[in-house]
Amino acid sequence: MSAAIGFSLTHLQAMLLFALVISIAFGFLSRRQPIERVKYIVWSLFLFLLIGVGIGWAMYPFSR
Amino acid sequence: MTDGTTAPESPKIDSKRETFALAIAAAGWIVPGLGHALLKMWGRAVACFLTVGLLVFFGAGMRGNVFTSSGNDAFDTLGYLADLGAGTFYFVARSLETNGPDVSRADGDYGTRFLAAAGVLNLLAALHAYEAARGRKA
Repeated sequence: MSAAIGFSLTHLQAMLLFALVISIAFGFLSRRQPIERVKYIVWSLFLFLLIGVGIGWAMYPFSR
Repeated sequence: MTDGTTAPESPKIDSKRETFALAIAAAGWIVPGLGHALLKMWGRAVACFLTVGLLVFFGAGMRGNVFTSSGNDAFDTLGYLADLGAGTFYFVARSLETNGPDVSRADGDYGTRFLAAAGVLNLLAALHAYEAARGRKA
């Protein structure tokens, strides 16, 4: 099988994709009810993005 | 009057359940989501399969590093263990990435993390299936 796939994502796209996929997995694994899962996924995604962007800004002064 | 305690199960039943739970965990590790599918937890099974599959697909597509057993240092070995957590999807990643990794770009570096996350996530899912098979609340 040959590799016909190839992606070039920006930093933000990669972070969004990672956060979304992991949030969905966590939501399904840790909650039973659909509404609880949705709440958990949204909250987890929000925290992923908030902390990701926060750490990004915290590193900004040392980036150059 | 009940005091909230239950009679302990016989060691034979306990051992049988433990063996079953280990088999579920192994199945969940080998094929992401299979452990939950065998427990008829369909939503979780599909979610595990798709999320681990997506991470592997994008990780390999971004030309992340799929570590092998012939690593040079402890970090390579740790990476190999993490990648191996994806079970058969580890080999899918290797077959998808025929051009080899390219970690000279940010994409490749992110891909490496995606692949490691896929493995660790699958191990977490297998552990979850194991606990569910043992009768713990999951």
